[in-house]
Amino acid sequence: MRMFLAIVVCKLLRFVGRLVGKGSSLPGQYALKICPDILQKVKLPSYIIAVTGSNGKTSTVEMIAAILRKSGKTVVYNEEGSNQIEGVATLILCNSSLGGKMRGDVLLLESDERYARLSFRWFHPTHFVITNLYRDQLTRNGHPEWVYDAIAPAIHPDTTLVLNADDPLVSCFARGHEKVKWFGVDRCSISTEEHHGVYHDGARCPACGGAMEYEFYHYEHIGRYRCPACGHHRQDADFSVTSLDLEAGKLTIGGETEISLAFRSIYNVYNILAAWSAGSLAGVDRETMASVINNYILKNGRMVQFTLGRRHGTLLTSKHENSVAYDTNLSYIRAAKTPCTALIIVDSISRKYFTGETSWLWDIDFGLLNCGEVKQVILCGRYVNDLALRFDYTGIPAEKIVCYDTVAQAAAALRESGNEELYVVTCFSDRDKLLNLVQREQ
Amino acid sequence: MKVTILHLYPDVMNLYGEYANVAVLCRHLEALGVEADVQTAGEDADFSTADFIYMGAGTERKQKYVLAAAPRQAEGLRSAVERGAAVLFTGNAMETLGASVSSAAGKVWPGYALADFTTVETEKRSPADVVAVSTLWEAPAVGFMNKCSVTRGAATPLFSELSLGFGNEEEHGAEGYVSGNVFATHITGPILVKNPDFTDLLIRRLFARKNWTVPERLPVLPHEREAYAVTLRELRGRIGREG
Repeated sequence: MRMFLAIVVCKLLRFVGRLVGKGSSLPGQYALKICPDILQKVKLPSYIIAVTGSNGKTSTVEMIAAILRKSGKTVVYNEEGSNQIEGVATLILCNSSLGGKMRGDVLLLESDERYARLSFRWFHPTHFVITNLYRDQLTRNGHPEWVYDAIAPAIHPDTTLVLNADDPLVSCFARGHEKVKWFGVDRCSISTEEHHGVYHDGARCPACGGAMEYEFYHYEHIGRYRCPACGHHRQDADFSVTSLDLEAGKLTIGGETEISLAFRSIYNVYNILAAWSAGSLAGVDRETMASVINNYILKNGRMVQFTLGRRHGTLLTSKHENSVAYDTNLSYIRAAKTPCTALIIVDSISRKYFTGETSWLWDIDFGLLNCGEVKQVILCGRYVNDLALRFDYTGIPAEKIVCYDTVAQAAAALRESGNEELYVVTCFSDRDKLLNLVQREQ
Repeated sequence: MKVTILHLYPDVMNLYGEYANVAVLCRHLEALGVEADVQTAGEDADFSTADFIYMGAGTERKQKYVLAAAPRQAEGLRSAVERGAAVLFTGNAMETLGASVSSAAGKVWPGYALADFTTVETEKRSPADVVAVSTLWEAPAVGFMNKCSVTRGAATPLFSELSLGFGNEEEHGAEGYVSGNVFATHITGPILVKNPDFTDLLIRRLFARKNWTVPERLPVLPHEREAYAVTLRELRGRIGREG
């Protein structure tokens, strides 16, 4: 009876909420108050796939959904990104019959890495994809090992873990867990024997603290590693990118399926591979998966094309407090080899909470912009002085760097002069301050 | 003129861009015509020639790797301090300077024992912006901390109180530790980048140790004072809204 009531209330609140434009967590919150163990009582589909990790969750989940739908499966997933227990409850209950049976073949969840254990106390995924653990929003997440410790209790022994073999910390989830599938990228054109980046979170073995040895790196601490002290090492992958040519935008999965990349970045390669692994484990055939992810353009729109004066511009959405997200975009600009101006905006550090914390600027490899093609670097926003100070330590000649206090001033200057390609790197929290001043291309 | 800087565990105790503390100090020294010789070391550190010894913050586990070697390194560090070397430990590196660090589960690691304080880790993290009243310079210090511990028995704190942030034992309470040329604070990240007054104080101490004449006016490097002013303004605005 309580279950019935909770489902009715949830559906009703969701209906009213939609009319007045309210978010998706409140209905679930009420349902959980009425019937705290409702997520245990509802009958869920036979496939429950959860995705967590620091970066790439949203993109990976979107591609998994596209693959499953193309194969004819009905997929229920949290497209709005409400990934804490209340949002998950809303999603499940609004897609359930009043008798408590969820419709659909697959429940697909983007799961907040810190709160997964709250949702999975009541039910557990059949497949749990963990993409990577990086430094991300340290102001609220602590650090990658802290996040690891928060995810670990959410893992049920019956769940099949789908892990990034190339991430030494993520690989630790397999210790003492029976059902594990691995995905990874073989040595390829971007692999280096030297570590690149401002910091090295793979320097020590996450299992024992010994000095880690790498055969090669793909980026940051992702690569082929072995700890001589305890033997923790990169596992053989069940799903592999067997060749990759980023410049040509081509990769091969499992030695036979060729995929073209709409966005030529190593991070996109990992997201594609994670989606491929999940699709494969859900029984989708290779041809169907390849037809979906070949040249797949993400709907979550992190790249925006626009014009500003005589310039063509590309905004690459990054995340403040996430150096890997920044490095992704800076590498993209460097690899484009186009004469360009780069604009970096740091105005509000977060949309969700207040902080004046700028230490993360020092974790970003802004030195990637120290190349001939980058003709000018424009810095702007409230924290422009912190940015300028950081850039003083990149080796980029001072005469290439121009600072403005506001986004509007920077936009006006860019509109008035120059016709070079413009690359913009900033966060969701700041990007509209520029996009409102330019002409967007569809 | 040369200053030898020993950066301890730069690969593991570098969670919040702490390497920038060493970089900015070098920049200031160079602006004064002083050569900065930066040495990096871990368990095998040689403290005998160091004028300035720095360690930044790490994860709780990585701090334990440091603590595992601390007892056998303690004598070397103590001698360096007795010779007048300046020491700055930030974030949870501060905890290692004390007598011990205990995990929330009760496991105890002895520290460098340069000070008497003891630290107990907690299950909860307390991330916080910081505005601090210094015992050594006039302007408020700004920064960020992300601690999951309580430190007791730091008799001579570096900051007498915090208008934002968690002190050694409680919110807004006294924070850090200072004794002679030994400085420690749980403020993480590039604290010297964010607080040019603190950098200037360290420069004066280093010059004094070397018996060099301290210039009346220390160099002001681009953007540092402006960045500090913006952060202080933003954080003060926050205090206003909260209080």
